[in-house]
Amino acid sequence: MVDEKSSDNLIEIRGLYLKRGRRVVFDGLDMSIPRGKITALMGPSGTGKTTLLKVIGGQVAPDAGEVIVNGLDVCRASRAELFELRKNIGMLFQSSALFTDMSVAENVAFPLREHTDLPDDSIRDLVLMKLNAVGLRGARDLMPNELSGGMARRVALARAIALDPLLLMYDEPFTGQDPIAMGVVQSLIKRLNHAFAATSLVVSHDIHETITIAEQIYIIADGKVIGHGPPDHLRSHDSSLIRQFVHGTPDGPVPFHYPADELNFDLLGEVSG
Amino acid sequence: MIEYLRYLGAEALDFLGNLGRASLMWGRALSGLPRWNDIGLLMRQIYNIGVLSLVIIILSAFSIGAVIALQFHTQLAKFGAEDAVGVGLAMVLLRELGPVVTALLFAGRAGSAITAEIGLMKSTEQLSSMEMMGVDPLRRIVAPRLWAGMLCLPLLTAIFNVVAIYGGVVVAVEWLGADPSSYWNGMQDVVELWEDLGKGMVKSVFFAVLVTWIAVYQGYDTVPTAEGIGMSTTRTVVLSSVMVLATDFLLTLSMYGDFG
Repeated sequence: MVDEKSSDNLIEIRGLYLKRGRRVVFDGLDMSIPRGKITALMGPSGTGKTTLLKVIGGQVAPDAGEVIVNGLDVCRASRAELFELRKNIGMLFQSSALFTDMSVAENVAFPLREHTDLPDDSIRDLVLMKLNAVGLRGARDLMPNELSGGMARRVALARAIALDPLLLMYDEPFTGQDPIAMGVVQSLIKRLNHAFAATSLVVSHDIHETITIAEQIYIIADGKVIGHGPPDHLRSHDSSLIRQFVHGTPDGPVPFHYPADELNFDLLGEVSG
Repeated sequence: MIEYLRYLGAEALDFLGNLGRASLMWGRALSGLPRWNDIGLLMRQIYNIGVLSLVIIILSAFSIGAVIALQFHTQLAKFGAEDAVGVGLAMVLLRELGPVVTALLFAGRAGSAITAEIGLMKSTEQLSSMEMMGVDPLRRIVAPRLWAGMLCLPLLTAIFNVVAIYGGVVVAVEWLGADPSSYWNGMQDVVELWEDLGKGMVKSVFFAVLVTWIAVYQGYDTVPTAEGIGMSTTRTVVLSSVMVLATDFLLTLSMYGDFG
């Protein structure tokens, strides 16, 4: 049984250290995610934002540090405790990760069938309500391979909210959405968060969309938190790295190019001699 | 030399690591099963793994039975011993060819499909998303395939034996004109329930565990790329085949090894 902690923070991360091969992904990362709020997690590509979601969900074990989710230390929790905790977590994967052998409706019904004893009629109604929320009630009988990327993402979102979870983690929810769907997803994240008193953690590169809904933003780079606070605070931050990221400029402390030799040297090849 | 030793050490560690992970997976998947709620999943896998393998098993069994009967008949006729075709065929099939060939065919047909399916589920994050929904993929995905494989292979072996013996009848009795009563009576007199049929079925249970375990583990542990899934599928077939043949030798030695 997961202890309900009276703390204001649903997630507490302290001194998180994770190494993958020779690369240090997190180097003493500290973070607090307040209950009932929408927190955005931003940062340059490859800084481990998705990995951090997996650490919070207990799928990736860090080398050191403490990750407390709703009172449970996921790094030291047993397998059974982790599975119990995850019933309260909804996660939207970047790849949607729909079950390809199930229809849209069956995908959304999956967590309900696994974790509740509801009769089929109730499950059907709930599934239709969730699909209606993402605008795909009419697509309930389609198979995942018949959906566009954006539609698949919305079905995955409906599945993630099926059990009305305590914590919702969104990995790039806006990617691949047309402007209408993007607006819907945006308002849905906001509405869900307030209607169910859920806590949301949004990983996204879409600065404008994210800033509109997030109440708190964490920016991570080089394995550490380089800035956090309300969106307005970060816009006017004096750190050049944060300014570069928030304003999306190619020149700044974060290089656009992956480390490499000079272009001329690469094109001409090694001069023999 | 040092490099070579280092390489050997790394390979040995890798092997032990794999064995440990595979054992953990096996133990976790099979603990607490079968549950009543999972019967539907199990039935579906029995269909995918067992029923869909029937065609290849039946066709192969018939031709193998027919070919062996033809060979036996041709050779034994030289000594006027055509009556022994039935006995010879039954012994070879029940003791060796039935379990071994069925296991090899099973590895190629069902084993590779299991690996590819689980591997693709892993690469499209379906296993990961299931885990994040609080549903253990070992119970939902791995366990039904393990159980289905372990149930189906012995049954397929029994079917293989029956069809192959029938294939022998068609060739030896119907076509080449051997005496049907000698064919069947010889078989009834010589074949023993436990010594021949029973031990052959025990072998097939060993092979079932081995092939299904390898197939499921290779899928579960695959590198989640197109190339990785291809390599895992190949490894399932190669490793299963080699292990089936090696285990068969050891089992034969321990079951019938009173050579002194």
